[in-house]
Amino acid sequence: MKFKMKQVGVLLLASVFLLSACGGAKNNGAADASNAKTGANGGNAAVDKPVNITWMNILHTASTPTGKVQSLIEEKTNTKIKFSWVPDASKEERINTALASNSLADIVTLTILDNSSVRNALKSGMFWEVEPYLDEFPNLATISEDKRRSASIAGKLYGVPFQKDVARNGVIIRKDWLDKLGLPVPKTTDELMDVAKAFTEQDPDGNGVKDTVGFIDRNDLIYGAFKTLGSYFGTPNYWQHSEDGKMTPEFETEGYVKAMDFMKATYDNGYINKDFAVTAKTDQQEGFAQGKAGIYVGALFDGKNLLNLAKGIQDDMELVLVNNITSTGNESDRAIWAGNNGIGGLLAFPKSEVKDEAELKQVLKFVNDLMDDDIYALMTYGIEGVHYSIDGDMAVTILDNDLWKQEVQPFASSRPKEPGYKIHDADPLKVEATKLILENEEFAVLNPVYSLESETYTTMGSELQKIITDATYKYILGSIDLNGFKAEVEKWKKSGGSKIISEYEAAYKEANS
Amino acid sequence: MKASSVASMDVRVEPELQRKASPILTSLKRNKLLYLMIFPGLLYFIVFKYLPMGGLVIAFQDYQPYLGITGSPWVGLKHFERLFTEPTFFMLLRNTLILFAMNIVFFFPLPIILALMLNEVRNKWFKSAVQTIIYIPHFMSWVIIVSITYVFLNVDGGVINELLAVLGFNKISFLTSPEWLRTMYIGQIIWKELGWSTIIYLAAITVVDTQLYEAAEMDGAGRWRKTWHITLPAIRPVIITLLILKIGSTLDLGFEHMYLLLNSLNREVAEIFDTYIYTAGLKNGQLSFSTTVGLFKGVVGLILVMASNKLAKKFGEDGVY
Repeated sequence: MKFKMKQVGVLLLASVFLLSACGGAKNNGAADASNAKTGANGGNAAVDKPVNITWMNILHTASTPTGKVQSLIEEKTNTKIKFSWVPDASKEERINTALASNSLADIVTLTILDNSSVRNALKSGMFWEVEPYLDEFPNLATISEDKRRSASIAGKLYGVPFQKDVARNGVIIRKDWLDKLGLPVPKTTDELMDVAKAFTEQDPDGNGVKDTVGFIDRNDLIYGAFKTLGSYFGTPNYWQHSEDGKMTPEFETEGYVKAMDFMKATYDNGYINKDFAVTAKTDQQEGFAQGKAGIYVGALFDGKNLLNLAKGIQDDMELVLVNNITSTGNESDRAIWAGNNGIGGLLAFPKSEVKDEAELKQVLKFVNDLMDDDIYALMTYGIEGVHYSIDGDMAVTILDNDLWKQEVQPFASSRPKEPGYKIHDADPLKVEATKLILENEEFAVLNPVYSLESETYTTMGSELQKIITDATYKYILGSIDLNGFKAEVEKWKKSGGSKIISEYEAAYKEANS
Repeated sequence: MKASSVASMDVRVEPELQRKASPILTSLKRNKLLYLMIFPGLLYFIVFKYLPMGGLVIAFQDYQPYLGITGSPWVGLKHFERLFTEPTFFMLLRNTLILFAMNIVFFFPLPIILALMLNEVRNKWFKSAVQTIIYIPHFMSWVIIVSITYVFLNVDGGVINELLAVLGFNKISFLTSPEWLRTMYIGQIIWKELGWSTIIYLAAITVVDTQLYEAAEMDGAGRWRKTWHITLPAIRPVIITLLILKIGSTLDLGFEHMYLLLNSLNREVAEIFDTYIYTAGLKNGQLSFSTTVGLFKGVVGLILVMASNKLAKKFGEDGVY
């Protein structure tokens, strides 16, 4: 009897090990899913032979592009491109694993420059410093001094900066609902609150049921509503720098607290979707499209997407884009935070793949060519006649949205430069968004520490930021009060925040002396 | 450790071999087929479990990928100091231990009870139908299970909350309140793993000598008595073994599951070592620091498994090694 039990025990153990073995193997496989370098560069190849280029790139869409766009890009730039796509959602771990195992490509898209391992990798000399070469190429030479400085790390530029719109955020409101309730387009935060209230309480969709709210937001304090509303209340962009050399983090300013109070009021009164703290972006946009809410705070060009999503569900939807809200009503107080100071990251070239100057120049030439008008059009709208039609004013109409999404959209985030091209979308909302975003530039609030170094921030910054993020949510949702919030800020300071402040102050002094 | 326990059991079968010049060689020769069978498993453990342990040295370095293990500077116990002095450490330890305790108290006994109940089912067809149905959730990924929970529990239109509202109760924000996190976590584990976990117990029960039941029946024992005095003692070694293994993985609460449940509002109770290692290590690229956390986790697990094994032996059980 006892012996029998032992046998069972052995069998059992064996099966447990087998099971754990299966589990373990799976993990090991997944960890190394990053790309491997293929094919050498055609360094010494003849002039007209296409250059092989590998590109580790971020993918913002659900699937990788199909169709002919890539081969046309290759034809125009005389290259052979091999993409290794990294989904945006998992970019941190994928890029970090690739950096750690040194399995990179000729071009690496680095969008998370404040990530400590990316920063360390850049500083360690893993990538080419490109500034001395930029002026040799006509398109790269146009990158402004400001952009170069903003994208630098400790004064050195380790890649070609992605040039993006400086400040793209604003408020998108259901115009048809405003009209129905006889409300003006809001110009102040108080009016915005009134609109949210009316949208919640006065049945703007006229179905007799109280099933709408004012705002619809998502689980993102930065690209969601909070940071944009913060700008309207005069919150600095992450850091405030005063004349006497003091650095103040945004959450110690009055504007930040006012923005929290605003969000808290919308939450307490039910003017916002109750679960916004756990709502994903797609759910947010779909909710808006389904007519659950009437105010969307985010990127202004999302208006077009929202309207597209609403087709067939909310056919009455009309949208108005607003970028001039202030808390005081004074035009002079207009402000809007600049996302990453208009830098979308870097196109960096690892020395392990791009072996010498000659190769570097080939790759830089390729990046330079990507900024040409015709390739910009190709990467933005696709192929004329297939994806879009164009009129005399260079206004583009997309022919088949689904085809465009599948074959063209994935390339959109790979464009080294986004603003400043003649060719444009004919969609009126898109035109309006472009106009407002350009207008925003004048009122953009820059982040004063964007290119500065803080050792503590690099190692512990994102851990520390969690304290503030969590406290902000808790304050808005009412589980802590202002004193509780201040206690969390103290905790942030004690855990390393004070060091970050003094390091930034020192770095600022050094950079501006 | 795991591999050697398998090996030692096989050696133990023929102790009389250990007498002459090179007993190991003789035993190897005698049992070469057995060793051949162990070999793939052994190889797996060496390649995937032991060799990577060498990487643990980066816990004592400021590891930078570009410089590699040989080039990165040594920093001694800096990362350990940081780990033990950070306030997060105690939060992580507390959350991990509480969840582990709940796991043992609320989840561990359930499969045993369920297996005993299934064992009493007379209708073969009904029994296997029930088994099949309760195994299914095991094959779903956590993403699906957490998504289902999300659909049921969210405040804006979640089924449960709508039901609460109709019945006149206040809506509860299950997903964002720290009070509900642990209940939700354990509940999901029970839903997913309960059926699957009964397999081993059911297998153990089938080995029980039926004569014992017959003898007990003669003595007038009812079902309850038979279960209590025969079935349970018979599967006790299995229960102990599984408990020890479970304790060994105390700090492995399942990264994927918790990561999906974690948000800004329930972090204070939801952040555990696994999620922390992921955010600190992979997302923020602090490879050395997260290795330190992982090492700490591993050491604690080893100590716990050895202690519980010793305890089991003290109470006259077999233990796992």
